[in-house]
Amino acid sequence: MNHEEILLVVQEKFLSSERVTAFLCDAKLLRPDCIKKDRLLAIVEYGDEKAVFCLFTSCYPPKSFTDLSIEIVLPIDNSFKCEIDNKPSDPEAILYLNLQSRNSKFKFEIQMTPRVDNFVDDLFRGIEAVNKLPTQPEFVWLKKYIGQREDDIIAQTMILPRSGVAHTQMSAPVAIRESLIKRKMSDKEFEYTFTKRFTIFCGTWNVNDKSPVIPLKGWLCVDKEPPDIYAVGFQELDLSKETFLFDQTLREDEWYNAVRSNIDPRAKYVKVEIVRLVGMMLIILIKEKHMSHVRNVVCDTVGTGIMGKMGNKGGVSVRFDLHNTSICFVNSHLAAHVEEYERRNQDFRDICNRTRFVQANQLPKAIKDHDQIYWLGDLNYRITELDPLSVKKMVNENNFAPVLEWDQLRQQHKINNVFAGYTEGMITFKPTYKYDPGTDHWDSSEKNRAPAWCDRIFWKGDNITQLAYRSHPALNISDHKPVSALFTSAIKIVDEEKYRKIYEEVIKQLDKLENELIPQVKVDVTEIDFGTVRYLELQVRSITIKNTGKLPVEFEFIKKLDETSFCKEWLIVEPYKKCICADESCEIQLKVLINKTSACKMNAGTDKLYDILVLHLYGGKDIFITVNGTYQRSCFGCSIEVLVNLNIPIREVPVGKLIELESKRDQYISNQSTYSIPKEIWFLVDHIYLHGLKEPNLFEQPGLHSEVLQIRDWLDTGSIDPIPGSIHSVAEALLLLLESTADPIIPYNLHPVCLRACANYLQCKQIVMELPEFRKNVFLYLCEFLQEALQHSDENGLDAKTLSTLFGAIFLRDNPNVVQEPQSRMNKQIIDKKKAQFVHHFLVNDHSDLIFSR
Amino acid sequence: MGVGKSCLLHQFTEKKFMADCPHTIGVEFGTRIIEVAGQKIKLQIWDTAGQERFRAVTRSYYRGAAGALMVYDITRRSTYNHLSSWLTDTRNLTNPSTVIFLIGNKSDLDGQRDVTYEEAKQFADENGLMFVEASAKTGQNVEEAFLETAKKIYQSIQDGRLDLNAAESGVQHKPASPGRPLAAPPAARDNCAC
Repeated sequence: MNHEEILLVVQEKFLSSERVTAFLCDAKLLRPDCIKKDRLLAIVEYGDEKAVFCLFTSCYPPKSFTDLSIEIVLPIDNSFKCEIDNKPSDPEAILYLNLQSRNSKFKFEIQMTPRVDNFVDDLFRGIEAVNKLPTQPEFVWLKKYIGQREDDIIAQTMILPRSGVAHTQMSAPVAIRESLIKRKMSDKEFEYTFTKRFTIFCGTWNVNDKSPVIPLKGWLCVDKEPPDIYAVGFQELDLSKETFLFDQTLREDEWYNAVRSNIDPRAKYVKVEIVRLVGMMLIILIKEKHMSHVRNVVCDTVGTGIMGKMGNKGGVSVRFDLHNTSICFVNSHLAAHVEEYERRNQDFRDICNRTRFVQANQLPKAIKDHDQIYWLGDLNYRITELDPLSVKKMVNENNFAPVLEWDQLRQQHKINNVFAGYTEGMITFKPTYKYDPGTDHWDSSEKNRAPAWCDRIFWKGDNITQLAYRSHPALNISDHKPVSALFTSAIKIVDEEKYRKIYEEVIKQLDKLENELIPQVKVDVTEIDFGTVRYLELQVRSITIKNTGKLPVEFEFIKKLDETSFCKEWLIVEPYKKCICADESCEIQLKVLINKTSACKMNAGTDKLYDILVLHLYGGKDIFITVNGTYQRSCFGCSIEVLVNLNIPIREVPVGKLIELESKRDQYISNQSTYSIPKEIWFLVDHIYLHGLKEPNLFEQPGLHSEVLQIRDWLDTGSIDPIPGSIHSVAEALLLLLESTADPIIPYNLHPVCLRACANYLQCKQIVMELPEFRKNVFLYLCEFLQEALQHSDENGLDAKTLSTLFGAIFLRDNPNVVQEPQSRMNKQIIDKKKAQFVHHFLVNDHSDLIFSR
Repeated sequence: MGVGKSCLLHQFTEKKFMADCPHTIGVEFGTRIIEVAGQKIKLQIWDTAGQERFRAVTRSYYRGAAGALMVYDITRRSTYNHLSSWLTDTRNLTNPSTVIFLIGNKSDLDGQRDVTYEEAKQFADENGLMFVEASAKTGQNVEEAFLETAKKIYQSIQDGRLDLNAAESGVQHKPASPGRPLAAPPAARDNCAC
């Protein structure tokens, strides 16, 4: 990837209105406590405003903007300062960039490259520009970047209201997506990695406050092949008070340079990291060719010395990822004194517990969280229980085994008190402590202690083989001899192509999982055809909803935009809301019933047997269910004005014609071709007049529903057969027909007048005189018929009161479209009584004058 | 055969081509989390039925969308010809800042092309729509269309054109932790002509 390609990736991290004008790779953020590597500095411009961003790159070069996370945002305002220091002597041409904005100060270490000039130029241009501005910019666009948590991996969920329709409660799980991806990828690691062996040289030396006055080649450059990695640890680098108190020493550079110039010259090495705490220093070098595969270098130091905190004892560690293997090196100097092995165990545990490698976007790592751990140092365990003279005698004869039996470290390790899980190679070298400096003679001081293997190297991890474990007695300036070990270790290397393939698979799986958690159902039919639907004939169909998802699902039929109900009035859906468990089904019944209200609309063409229902799944999709059928028109639900105009059976009238007639129903006046009353009413009344006036319980005993339907068809088809069914069925059909007329016989607007006038026959007559012509005819015709019926009250049991109550409710029927004010029971009774009173006049008085007034 | 809205959604959420995709009878639903300008954003995508008979119902879903993807089939001119009526509907029922993206689907069937890129591009430009030709089959430009829409919505929020507090902005901001500054995920929605 070249600079331009990386620029594109960095730009992706920002909005297109926010332009990345310059950036630098490979910056290190220097913090008092640690050094953070793999940072990228970018200058971003938005209008006149500029800011410096420090981004952490999880992989270098960043392959996509998701590899970058914003760590620091520094607006370039008039408080912004930039200072540059460099160490001209530094062989690696390092530049230190001190950036300060508002109250934050940061120091970055940058490799000197031509790009740095561009970056710094751009930075200074920004500073110059901002100082020329009359007012300070507000940096509103930065708000979204500031305060971003490093651990923010929980995606935001969104709840989107569905206005006008029901509300969707999005209950999809909050995805902790990134951590899931990491987890899945590490589970599949073996599928996309192969291993390659690397040689690792580990060296440790307690230099006892000496300067490197002798060559170190005899320690660092003794193997057949140059190792891939050097991990070199020192203890007691500097015992001066200044170092102890201020942690400053010149020895750091001295010993570092000595190591650099004494390592194997056959390969070129670069520094991975150097870390020091007082006298403990750890240098990690790697062959230059491997450096591009080193990531996430983090170090930490732990002091376990005086008060359990100071750095005269303790450990320094460096961790990094080499290809896909995480490696940790620890250099420790544990508590001294022969008897203090318990303290040394404690120091080991403290170093393990307190060492924390902090990385952006990740939980801090401990030493144990690594694939490979190499632990070296002056561990200070001694030989007890043997007298010094016999120890010296045995080791001088290279008879180590009996002495090692009494080595505190071997004893403690065996019982897992220390270095549990770690391995140490076979010791085949003489104890490395304590010598008279400058010689190979055992310490001649008065203490006369037994020699001991203080300086040791342990390892932990799979696929590590120790090739050598030795001391280097020729390096004799200290009272310790240096020790080294050579390992060959399997490092996991990512096959990029396989990795990409598996990564995509994992992402796909997760997307799939998330989308699978969206409720899923299967509906057996989404189009329901009721076929021919007739007046007052209930038809039932059912659909089955099967929960095919993995979670219970709740469904509900929801309203469409701007509608008051989720379905048309002629449709009943049961249940319209329910919860279904996974793999279970629910049957929903859809019932169609065309009653008087819907029949009028069907006849008038203002409604048809067609509806789309929205079956909504909570947290999921909507399914449309289409309902349709053909309504067979009937005289029921027609207006009186239309019926009098029909001189053929209604079934023979084309649908369009009926709709047209209904639309003009207010305009009809009588002429030669109109009947004075609807023929259907006449047929029914005439039938009762001829055959049923003496029928007991006339109008009181209900008819049979099936017979009523037969009568309906008889009327609609204009059959020449006799009317089917009993007198009671005919009487009921008559009542239903009168109730179903599109408009009531007495128009709604006259109802209040009627109720007021009910006590006064003359006024009532006056109102009837003013009724629309055909309705007046029907009214008077029926009243005449009822008077006739009352003549036979002995046989049919009728009385004027019962009839006037029954027909009062029909002639003056309540308007279904007007929301009734909540009436008290009492009130309703009074109104019903007044309606009856109104009709009663016309059942008991002679009103033939009205009829003949035509 | 539809213009491929569900296939585009499927390709975006599952990275797979659905070969025998049935007609959508209703409104399907897909989600994916993406990142725009460092913000994790959850897209909630509604894939509406394209058949004309459902048009009155699917209109209910436009309101409150932060973005709309209008899809036609480059191999069938009739689907392209319907665009202006769908666009009118979309404009009427969404708010002015709703981002509308035009997708000419089935770009893999270049041999059967019935609508040129230039013609559609001109239509998009004239109507202020973003435009891309994509293929739900090969996945070409699918990711881009959704991501660009999300980006544009995000930008609208940044510019203040889209008011998060408005009930019908189609975007909700869920604070992840108290005191956290603004973060805003948009919703895209998929509707169009068949």
